[in-house]
Amino acid sequence: MDVRMLRPALALYTGAFLAFLYGPMIVLAILSFQGPNGGPQFPIQEWSTYWYRHLLGLTETSRVSQLPVGDSLLRSLALAFMTTVVSVVLGTMSAEAFRTRFRGSGPVFYLVILGMMVPGVLVGLGMALLSNVLGIERAWWGTAFVLHVVYTYPFAFLVMLAIFNRFDRSVEEASLSLGVSPAQTFRRVTFPIIFPGVLSAALFSFTLSYDEFSRTLFTAGRDLTLPLSIYGTFSVEIYPNLFAFGVLTTLFSFTLLVIYGLLMKRFTGTRAGRFSGQEAVA
Amino acid sequence: MLTLSGITRRYGDATALDGLSFTVPDDAYVSLLGASGSGKTTLLRLIAGFEEPDAGQIILDGVRLDGQPPHRRDIGFVFQNFALFPHLTVEENVAFGLKYRESNAVASAAEVAERTQAALELVGLEGFGHRGVGEISGGQRQRVALARTLVTEPRIVLLDEPLGALDANLRDRMCDELRAIRERLKVSFLHVTGSETEALTMGDTVAVLAGGRIVQSSGSRALFEAPLNASAAKHLNAWNILSGTVEKDKLRTNAGILPVPGSLSDGQSAQIALRFDRIDVSDAAQVPEGRHHFEARFLTGEFNGPTALSFFRTADGALVQVVDHLSSPRLPRLEEGRTYALHYRPEEVLLFEGAEG
Amino acid sequence: MTAMTTDLPLTSEKSPATVREATDRRRALMLLSPGVIWMTLFMLLPLGMVVYVSFWTQTTFAVNSTLTTASWERFLSSPTYLGAIGTTLRIWAIVLAATLLVGYPVALFIGLFVKNRTVQTALLVACVIPFWTSFLIRVIAWRPMLGTEGAINVILQKLGIISEPLTFLLFSEFSVLVGMTQIYCVFMVGPITFMIARIDESVIEAARDLGASFGTIFRRIVLPLSMPGVIVGAIFVSVMVLGEFATAASLSGRKVNLLGNIIVSQVGSLKWAFAAVAGVVLTIIITAVITLALRVVDLRKEM
Repeated sequence: MDVRMLRPALALYTGAFLAFLYGPMIVLAILSFQGPNGGPQFPIQEWSTYWYRHLLGLTETSRVSQLPVGDSLLRSLALAFMTTVVSVVLGTMSAEAFRTRFRGSGPVFYLVILGMMVPGVLVGLGMALLSNVLGIERAWWGTAFVLHVVYTYPFAFLVMLAIFNRFDRSVEEASLSLGVSPAQTFRRVTFPIIFPGVLSAALFSFTLSYDEFSRTLFTAGRDLTLPLSIYGTFSVEIYPNLFAFGVLTTLFSFTLLVIYGLLMKRFTGTRAGRFSGQEAVA
Repeated sequence: MLTLSGITRRYGDATALDGLSFTVPDDAYVSLLGASGSGKTTLLRLIAGFEEPDAGQIILDGVRLDGQPPHRRDIGFVFQNFALFPHLTVEENVAFGLKYRESNAVASAAEVAERTQAALELVGLEGFGHRGVGEISGGQRQRVALARTLVTEPRIVLLDEPLGALDANLRDRMCDELRAIRERLKVSFLHVTGSETEALTMGDTVAVLAGGRIVQSSGSRALFEAPLNASAAKHLNAWNILSGTVEKDKLRTNAGILPVPGSLSDGQSAQIALRFDRIDVSDAAQVPEGRHHFEARFLTGEFNGPTALSFFRTADGALVQVVDHLSSPRLPRLEEGRTYALHYRPEEVLLFEGAEG
Repeated sequence: MTAMTTDLPLTSEKSPATVREATDRRRALMLLSPGVIWMTLFMLLPLGMVVYVSFWTQTTFAVNSTLTTASWERFLSSPTYLGAIGTTLRIWAIVLAATLLVGYPVALFIGLFVKNRTVQTALLVACVIPFWTSFLIRVIAWRPMLGTEGAINVILQKLGIISEPLTFLLFSEFSVLVGMTQIYCVFMVGPITFMIARIDESVIEAARDLGASFGTIFRRIVLPLSMPGVIVGAIFVSVMVLGEFATAASLSGRKVNLLGNIIVSQVGSLKWAFAAVAGVVLTIIITAVITLALRVVDLRKEM
C-alpha cells in the first residue's frame, strides 16, 4: 500500500474505533428516552423521560419494579470514600518507603502490584471462605472494604511512585538544613509539592472502588452496593430504566471528573510558573 | 571552627573520601577545589548530615556533628540547583526556616517579616518578596537561596558549586557579592567548586581535594605559586607536570633528561612542575646562558583575550603548555610543526618526590 | 559505655554511616509494613484459603475441614468443568488477539502519525472516557446494540442487506467476544501508544533519509520498540479476561461458561469446595500467563 495512503487510512480506522467504543453507550442513551410501553430495544415507541422519572420513583405504580439504587448508591459512595482514604495513605507511605533502597524491595513491589492483578472473583471467594471459617459476618464496610483497598492501593502506590520519581530530593534537604524537622518538612514541603499526585491517586481509587463489583459480589453480605444492585437486574429481564440509570451514573462520574479537574487547576495551574522554576534548573 | 578528621565515605566498593582531614577556621572564606567526581559534594553532604561518614569525626566548635540528624546541625547549605520551595513565594521561601525550625522558631509574625526583609535587602532583592520563585531569573534565585540560608544564622554556610548554574557575567558579580556578604556576617563559608579561577578568587584559603583527601590547603597565592605536590599543582591548570625516574641526579622524563634541584637516589620516581608562564621559547640554537631547556614541536596556539596559550609536544609525547601575557609578550612568532627549545630558569622548577598520583 | 567518651574510634562503635543506614532502613520498613500486612492478611491469606478449602470435604450444603481430594477428582473428571477451562482459554486467546489487532493500528496512529501533542492527548482521553461509565452498564449496553431488534439488525435491515434479523449476534460466544474486545482493548492501546510515542523522531527520520521504506521502518524500529507496550497491554488484558464472568453472564445467555462463572454458580449453590477448586485452577492459569509475560519484560522498569 502507498505510504501516503496510510495516514488517512489509519485516521479513518481510528474514527471507526472510537465509534466502536462509543456506539453502544450512544444507543443506550437514545433508548433511555423510550416511552412507558416500549422495551429495551428499537423502535422508540415515543420520546419521553418516563424511565428517568420511574428511576427516581416519580411515576405511579407500573409493571416494572423500581431499581433498588437509593441506599446502595449511598453505600457505594461511603465505601469508595473509605477505600480512597486508606489506599492513598497506604500508597503514599509505601511509595515514600521505596525512595530508600532496601533489600527485598523487588518482592514487596510485586506483592503490592499483585493486588491489582489478581482476579476479583478469586480474592472475593477467598475472603468469603475466610470469613466463614472465622465466623465473621460479611459486610460491605468490612470484608468488601478490605478487598477494595487490596485492589486500589496498588494503583495509588504506582501513581505516587511516579510522582516521587520526579521529585527533587534537594528541596527536602534544603528544609532540613534550615533546621526544620523531618515531620514538618513533610507537612510543609513534600506534601504540598506531591499534592496533585495525591489527588490523582484519590481519583483513581475512588472511581475503581465505586465501580468495583467482582470483589464485592461474595463479600458484601446482605446490604448491596450499587454495582451489585445493577448486577441483580441482569438475571431478570432488563427495562429502559436501567439505561436511564446508566446515563445518570455516567453524568455523575463526569461531575466527579470536572471537580477533579478544577482542583488540579487550582493547585497546579496558578503555580505553574513557580513549578517550572524548579524544573528549569534540575 | 569546623574540623574534619579521618573522614572516610564508601559507596559499595568505591571510596569517595579516604581518611580526609581538614579544618575550616572561623570567619573565613574557604574554597574547596576538586575535579568532578572527586567527592567534593559528598564532603559537603557529610558535613550537612544528608549522609554520614563510614569513619572519622566531624567536629564543629568542639561538638561532634556526625551521628546527628541534619536539622539539628545548624549548618547552612546552598544547593547548586538552588532547591527553592516551588510552592512558595520568594518571601515565604526566606521566612521558611525562621517559622518552622525545630528549635528557636520565631513565633512573632512581625519579627519574621522584619528579618525576612533584612535578608532580602542583604542580597539585594527588596521588592521581590511577593514573586513566585518561577517568576525570577537564575541570578535572583541564587540570591533567594542565599537569603533563605543566611536568615537562620547558621554556624557555617556550605555552598555547593553555587555559581555553576549562572552565566559568566553574573558569576563574576556574584563572586564579589558573596565575599562582601560573608564579610558583613562574619560567618565561615565553605565554597565548593570545580573551577580553579573561582576557587582562587573566592577563597582566603583554598583546599584541593584529590584522591579522596585534601592534598593541600593554603592561601590562594601560596597555593598558586608553590603547590606542595603534583596533585595540587595539576588542579591549578597552570603547571606542566613531567614525571620520571631519577638517573644520576637527573630526571628521565618524556621531555628528555632534565636536571633537578637537590639530590635524589637513583631509580626513585619523581615529578617536576613548570609553570605555564615561566617557560620561554627560542630556536634550538639560541638558548640563553644559565637556563635549562628541552625541545618540543609547536602544535597550535590558543588566543583567549589577555593571554595566549601555546601547545607543544616533545619527541616522547609529553604535552607542554606555555602562557604568554599579551601586555608583555616574550614568545617569538611560532610556526606550527617546527621544533623549538623551551627554556626556563633552574630555580623555577618545583620537584615532587614519589610516583605520579 | 565509657568507650563513647574517648576520641579514638573503637572497633565496637558503629560508624555513623551504618547507624544512619539502619535508621533509614527501619523507617522504610515502618512505612511499608502497614501495606505489606494489609496485602498479606487480605490478599495472600484469602488466596491461601482458596487452596486450602479446595481440599475440604463437600457435603450437600456445607463444607467441613476433613481433607480430601474428592472435589479435585470430580472437577478433573467432569466434562463440564474441563470444558470451562477450554472455554476460558479459548475466549482469552481470541480476546487477546482481537484487542491487539483492533488496538495496534489505533496506537500506531496516535503515537506515530499524530504529531500535535494536544491532539494526541485528546485522542487518548477519548479512549479513556468510556471508563467513566460503570463497567456493568457498558456490558449491558451491548444488548440493545446486538439484540434481534437491536441497532445493528435494525440498520442492516433498513439498508436491505439482510431480510431476517441475525440471531447469532446476541446471547452467543460472539457477543461475549465483541463485548470483551470493546471493554478491554483500551488497555492495549494505552501502553502501546505510550511506547510508540516515546520513539525518538530523529531515529525514524534518519532511517527515512537512508532510503528505508515505511514497511522496513515499521518492522525494524517501530515494532521492536513497541513490544514492551504490547506485553504490558497483554498482561492487563489477560488478567482481566481470565478473571471475567460478568460479560459472559449478561451477554452469552448462559451459553458461555468461564471458570469465573463456574465459581459464581458454585458459590451460589454453596458448593464452596468446588468453587475453590475452580479458583485454584484459575490461579494456576493466570500465574502461568503472567510468568510467561514477565519473562519478556520487567514490569517494574516499564512503569
